[in-house]
Amino acid sequence: MSDLKKDIFRRVLFVFSGFCLLAVLIVWKIVSLQFYEGEYWSQRSQELTIKFETTEPVRGSIFSDNGSLLSASVPVFNIYIDFTAEKFKDKKIDSKLDSLSGSLSAMFKDRTPSEYRRILAAGKYRGYEYYLLKRNVSYKQLKAMRQLPVFRHGRYKGGLIAEQKTRREKPFRWLAERTLGFKSNQKDQRSVGLEAAYHDELKGVSGWRVMQKIAGGIYKPLRNEGEVEPKDGRDIISTINVNLQDVAENSLHYHLKLHNAQSGCVVLMEVSTGEIKAIANLTRGNDGNYRESYNIAVGHCTEPGSTFKLPALMAAFEDNKKLPDDSVDTGNGIYYWIPGKPMKDSHEGGYGKISVQRSFEVSSNIGVSKIINQAYAGNPMEFVTRLRNMHVDTRLNLQIQGEGRAFILDTSSNYWGKTALPYMSIGYSVKMTPLQTLTFYNAVANNGKMVKPMFVKEIREQGKTVKIFEPEVISDAICSPATLRMAQQMLEGVVTKGTASDLFKGCQYTVAGKTGTARINQQGAGYEVDGIKKYQASFVGYFPADKPKYSCIVVFYEPGAGQFYASKVAAPVFRELADKIYSTNLELHQELKPDAAIIAGNFPQFKKGRSQPTKVVSNHLNLKITDVISDEWIAVKKDKNEIKTFPLGYTSGMVPDVTGMGLRDALLLLENYGIAVQAAGKGKVISQSLQAGSRISPGSQIQLTLN
Amino acid sequence: MKAFIERYFKGDKYIWGIVLFLSFASLLAVYSSTGTLAYKYQGGNTEYYILKHFAIILMGFGIMYAAHRARYTFYSGISLIAIVIAVPLLIITLFAGTNLNEASRWITLPVLNLSFQTSDLAKVALILFLARSLSHKQDNIKDFKSAFLPMIIPVILICGLILPSNFSTAAVIFMTAVVLMFIGRVSSKYILMLFATGFAGLALFIGIAYLTKYDGRIKTWQNRIENHISGDEKESYQTQQAKIAIATGGIIGKGPGSSTQRNFLPHPYSDFIYAIIIEEYGLAGGLLVLFMYLALFYRVIMIVRKTSRAFATFIAIGCGFSLVFQALINMAVAVSLFPVTGQPLPMLSMGGTSIWFTSLAIGILLSVSRETEKTEGGEVATVAT
Repeated sequence: MSDLKKDIFRRVLFVFSGFCLLAVLIVWKIVSLQFYEGEYWSQRSQELTIKFETTEPVRGSIFSDNGSLLSASVPVFNIYIDFTAEKFKDKKIDSKLDSLSGSLSAMFKDRTPSEYRRILAAGKYRGYEYYLLKRNVSYKQLKAMRQLPVFRHGRYKGGLIAEQKTRREKPFRWLAERTLGFKSNQKDQRSVGLEAAYHDELKGVSGWRVMQKIAGGIYKPLRNEGEVEPKDGRDIISTINVNLQDVAENSLHYHLKLHNAQSGCVVLMEVSTGEIKAIANLTRGNDGNYRESYNIAVGHCTEPGSTFKLPALMAAFEDNKKLPDDSVDTGNGIYYWIPGKPMKDSHEGGYGKISVQRSFEVSSNIGVSKIINQAYAGNPMEFVTRLRNMHVDTRLNLQIQGEGRAFILDTSSNYWGKTALPYMSIGYSVKMTPLQTLTFYNAVANNGKMVKPMFVKEIREQGKTVKIFEPEVISDAICSPATLRMAQQMLEGVVTKGTASDLFKGCQYTVAGKTGTARINQQGAGYEVDGIKKYQASFVGYFPADKPKYSCIVVFYEPGAGQFYASKVAAPVFRELADKIYSTNLELHQELKPDAAIIAGNFPQFKKGRSQPTKVVSNHLNLKITDVISDEWIAVKKDKNEIKTFPLGYTSGMVPDVTGMGLRDALLLLENYGIAVQAAGKGKVISQSLQAGSRISPGSQIQLTLN
Repeated sequence: MKAFIERYFKGDKYIWGIVLFLSFASLLAVYSSTGTLAYKYQGGNTEYYILKHFAIILMGFGIMYAAHRARYTFYSGISLIAIVIAVPLLIITLFAGTNLNEASRWITLPVLNLSFQTSDLAKVALILFLARSLSHKQDNIKDFKSAFLPMIIPVILICGLILPSNFSTAAVIFMTAVVLMFIGRVSSKYILMLFATGFAGLALFIGIAYLTKYDGRIKTWQNRIENHISGDEKESYQTQQAKIAIATGGIIGKGPGSSTQRNFLPHPYSDFIYAIIIEEYGLAGGLLVLFMYLALFYRVIMIVRKTSRAFATFIAIGCGFSLVFQALINMAVAVSLFPVTGQPLPMLSMGGTSIWFTSLAIGILLSVSRETEKTEGGEVATVAT
């Protein structure tokens, strides 16, 4: 080896020893990581790759009394786009984005295709990896989105990212919205209604599990590390009946708009149990539309006006001060309890001298206030005590929060004066919520037994009943049976011959109730501010009067279309609701006796048709029908004084004559013959496009005209 | 069979063996560590990357085979041409290259539609050029003007062009050049001068970058170095994950395909493949891989020992050193001895064209070893000429 080569070789060995040194350092580092820091890093690995995750339970649902969903948690999705996904780099992406924009616009109808196109183009240009496209997309919409161009390639290629959340949905939207309420997640926000009251039952119990990160940035549950399943929330069965709620809400809405009222409410209660079957509260918003924005029936405490005359007079009866047949002088309709402030009756000129019962029926302010003043002027506190004993101002402790506090002025108050007693008797200087008023009237309907209004009747867990709410009795008897009978008679009198008699004329059921038109004390500034008087119109009662099943209150606040009398504004809603209940509730129907005379005089019209049903109906109507020749398809004709059937004589393979038949029979017959039917109009068939008696060829079509 | 192998596969048998071993290890490690990638881009088709990688390795063997069949003196001839091709390509890359992670390192060849890192080509070209220059000027190697200056100009040019986008590759190439010159007996005074020039160039670059607000890469370097120095608190995510992989691997590892850290480590199939190997095959597997690279350099020394030709010596050292040096740096980064750089582990990491240039370097190495074996047999002939 030459010197030169030796020199080079020495240098090579020097470099090699450098490598060996570096290798030793690497090995030392591995060993130290494994043996000295090993435990620390294994622990870190647990922290970094494994996480605890709480699993949220599904919130319970709220059902109506017959099992319809009123409020439920449904999954919704927030849609994000990853514009760095593979398909966005495609050469043909531009045309695909065009069709995608069109589809998105057609699906959501919130932006034009070109707006969507701009969003997509900008997102692609900037290369967003997590662009929020749309919030709260339903599962159905998401499924449709997954079929769209680009998106159909999935999360990694198509860039469609869907994140699931749950949202509280009310399938019937604004029906009883405020009573069902909502539970806010924010602490400073109010939660109202059943959602808030039964939150603890509805919310369920969170579970937890251990998740490990795996390929694709996804976490998989580690089952063997322990797992606590979430316990889904319990279901609440409310007393609300969807059909009645629908009628109540719509009727209230219609009449509120008709009378341009500020707000209004209607509550329907089952007399014996106190179950709230319908509760609607609508308030006009700034935009002029009515919304369920406040639970008026539960919370709005106002001077009730004339509906308070019932407890006032009942107090006088109960204390043996007066009887319905006693008389009172209402004078000429104007009376001054204090100079300068007249009390007026609505009937101009007054009613003169009338009975106590009559003064209630016509709602005479002067009459009722004189009666009460005569009865209690010596000891006003006796009146107050009697009212309290009848639970007029008893707190109801409802299942939902926000109950307004009832108030009765008493003699210890600084506001007590000479006019207190007469004005209290006609519903001023006292305050009640609509629901408290209804509860009192319901007690009158329920033979004196006062039950608490009930919103929830059952709690279920996984379909099994865990708790049943029984009707809660506030008082077994608010007054004596004699007083009660007098009260009921007065209430029936209001409807048969008093202030509400016009409205309930021709009713197939009997109603008992009281109108109440009160002036509103405008924020304490008085009953007339700048010449403007505001009114509160209410009607409260029960039906059927002889065997009460439901009680109901309707209150309108500040009707503004000129009409403010309770009988014209509030009572129609009561009537519409009662009509609906009557027509769908067979048990309320009184048996109608068939009127033989009507049937004998008028021969009913028979369509051509099948013989069997025709006979069944005829037997029900006590009509004697004799067969000439028995056949399945018949026509009915009157022959002298007899009613006879005549066979139609159809033969198979021939087009039958269906003129004079109902559509149902015509369809059955023709389709059995193998003819496809198209029909227009309603009533009886007046013409058919295929000649009767012609031969039927396969695939025949016939056009029927009905009238 | 043996005759067949001896007839067609010339050169050092150990080097062939090491390359086969590393390729096999590469297939295992890459298959295991591309799972995340497969889920992200191939909809969970885990075979996609391994098949692609396998094809690339096969082509690499083709290149290696072809390269080792050529006479090594052929590489002396093409070294100048290679430099002339590489430098303009580097310039194009710097200004118009494909931007990956804020660094233009890649160029796409127009006809073949193949993107490759031009620095890989430049590295091989520079090694060939230096080997040629050093062997030609061995007689007046201590002379500055005639010997040193012509050698360092391409070095500075190439490293300077790579530096803005890729500090670590520039440093590896620079170090390779320095070591080659050291072995080629260039005066240590000049080598120190070269170092000084290098540092001055780096300082100049950073200064200009700060002034012109082009600080994209510098921020990255700064962060990486700060993270490495300041210890555990600010430790970067990938370093933590790599440490976890190594620490939880133990002595014999979790077993093939059982890595969990591959899901957390960024680029587990390239920059941090060594950490995944230790996690799955333990300290034992890590030592074996490390040993293989050292063994490769040991075989290079054996080739050098046998040859009497200066060019053969320098070309073998150049190819062997750059490969093993890069491997050691990658491993040092994986075990967090060094701050994070983007150097792949040669022969092991996934990555298309860089494997082919590594194959080319090994092919050249084998070509040299083939010649030395031949000259051993026919020493008389050599002496006669």
